[in-house]
Amino acid sequence: MAVVKVDRLYKEYKGHADLAVKDVSFTVADGEFMVLLGPSGCGKTSILRMIAGLEPITSGDLLLNGKRINDVPAKDRDIAMVFQSYALYPHMDVYSNLAFGLRRRGFPQAEIDRRVMAAAAKLAMVPYLKRKPMALSGGQRQRVALGRAIVREPQVFLFDEPLSNLDAAARFTTRNELIKQQKELGTTTIYVTHDQVEAMTMGHRICILNHGQLVQIGHPLEVYKSPADTFVARFLGNPQMNMLKGTVALHDGGAFLHVGGSSIDLPAQALPELRKYAGSAVIVGVRPEDLYEHEPAALRERVVRIPARVIAVEPLGAETLLMLALPDSKEEIVARVGRQTRVRSGDTTTVALDTAALHLFDPATNVAIPYFRR
Amino acid sequence: MRNAVIPVKKTLLLLLVVVCSIATGGPFLWVAALSLRTTPEILDHPYSFPLHPHFDKFVRAWTHSNYGLYFWNSTLVVVAAVVIVTLLGAMAAHGLVRYPFRGNRAVRFLILSGMMLPPQMLILSLFQIMFNVGLYNTLGGLVLVYVATQLPMTIYILESFFAHIPQDLFDAAKLDGYADFEIFWRIALPIGMPAVFTTGLLNFIMLWNEFLYAVVLLTDNSKRTLPLGIMFFMGGHQIDVGMVATGLMIAILPVLLLYACFSETMIKGMTAGAVR
Repeated sequence: MAVVKVDRLYKEYKGHADLAVKDVSFTVADGEFMVLLGPSGCGKTSILRMIAGLEPITSGDLLLNGKRINDVPAKDRDIAMVFQSYALYPHMDVYSNLAFGLRRRGFPQAEIDRRVMAAAAKLAMVPYLKRKPMALSGGQRQRVALGRAIVREPQVFLFDEPLSNLDAAARFTTRNELIKQQKELGTTTIYVTHDQVEAMTMGHRICILNHGQLVQIGHPLEVYKSPADTFVARFLGNPQMNMLKGTVALHDGGAFLHVGGSSIDLPAQALPELRKYAGSAVIVGVRPEDLYEHEPAALRERVVRIPARVIAVEPLGAETLLMLALPDSKEEIVARVGRQTRVRSGDTTTVALDTAALHLFDPATNVAIPYFRR
Repeated sequence: MRNAVIPVKKTLLLLLVVVCSIATGGPFLWVAALSLRTTPEILDHPYSFPLHPHFDKFVRAWTHSNYGLYFWNSTLVVVAAVVIVTLLGAMAAHGLVRYPFRGNRAVRFLILSGMMLPPQMLILSLFQIMFNVGLYNTLGGLVLVYVATQLPMTIYILESFFAHIPQDLFDAAKLDGYADFEIFWRIALPIGMPAVFTTGLLNFIMLWNEFLYAVVLLTDNSKRTLPLGIMFFMGGHQIDVGMVATGLMIAILPVLLLYACFSETMIKGMTAGAVR
């Protein structure tokens, strides 16, 4: 049972003009898998290290089960952490690495044996207990690092980009292993990554950070579908969301969006929010998968076909990416289409845009216009 | 053309290596040869090979010339000094690297500036201090002086090695529940062992051969260390060259053995920080 509450957290490093973490607040529920996601330098690792007790908190409160733990030393927090570098003790074998924390806490040898063997069995590391970390592969080292956290049976697990040193295949299997272990153990987990695939697949919720500030927090698919601003919209999704310049026009009691040489009817319900943008520019966001070469029948009513010139074709096997240039503007967009496409670079074609999947952002603040956060 | 250049370069390098080897190994081999010959033989033909080696000279040097006592004194002083200086140096190096504090750079400069002062400059004041505190002519006093003189170099070597140990290991140990000294003892020291061992070995070699502080700070015959013992082989009016050479060989032997056994570890330890 562990609830972690971060309340108005700030972090300032000496000699740095900017704050590393600015007014960040969130709560991680008991047993929840929370992912802190953001680009390098966004403050996510600083938050994790403050929760671990490895960095002093400049201001704000950190609560574990309602108890303020700002001043509790790292060793007394009952929090385990898996590091990006794994941080295995190179002079100890796997068994000693796993038992190191338990020995300090004065567990009897029989209990240490039981816990180490249970963790090793869970992670398929029993045959490697006598090996030194040097003699293990990256994936095995990662499992030992995870095992070292598991044996302690802590209240909270912290992960600092634990998969970033693995190759693609090991990353896939280890990611699923981590998800499985967390589900089985049910331990409250905070996981830091800059990899959106990890965030989307692992987290119960994701917390997106930029320039030390919390931008959006929510269920991965919810955040993907309803990005709070252009940063989140671009950061989640690969290829990232297309951003186009559009103009809102109001006439005859309706709202219209002029984008890419086409005019799109906007829903009447959005009118109140769109009035202030009448005649002015907005940022239009379209995900590559919401552009179709041949739209499904179910969407036929709500798509608009826009003309485009094919600049490049990237067949990825399972799908094909089309790099398209829009007429009347120098804007380029990416469409994710089926692998059977016959278009070639240099062709002129049309792509169907799902109008129900459009995102509109305020060009001054980059924040999503609320109606289009859906 | 290119092929011709390589053998010339190789030959020149080989020549340089041979000259250097003769320059450093020659005197040692000569003393080794002298140690097996008697003084009259040496005076007749100084550079001759020991055709009839007198191994009994080693037994005589050991039994008739207090060598056993000098050897014991040297071992006692040097081992004690090396253990203390290695432990203190490792703790200081770990502290300077891992705990940034106000004045860290000043402390580091102060410690390392100790390496810049030649012992001849310190010897008079040191003599006075040792005399005043009652440590003059004691083995304990000499141990303290050795610790003080070797500490800067020890910290200097260990600091650069310790700086390369990833901070994550210390953070992991903190989360495993360990306090600062335990982290030093269980993590920093064992991981830094190659460098710790190397500095220990270097200090041992340097202190084993140390003469200046020993000759100034020790007067009793019963407290002399090996280098002093060799000096007192040289009588007032005549020098038993053969016995001096035998004494030197006995003195060199421990260092030689240590180096033969651990030279590879020592080189690894000295370069470990540099190549990572």
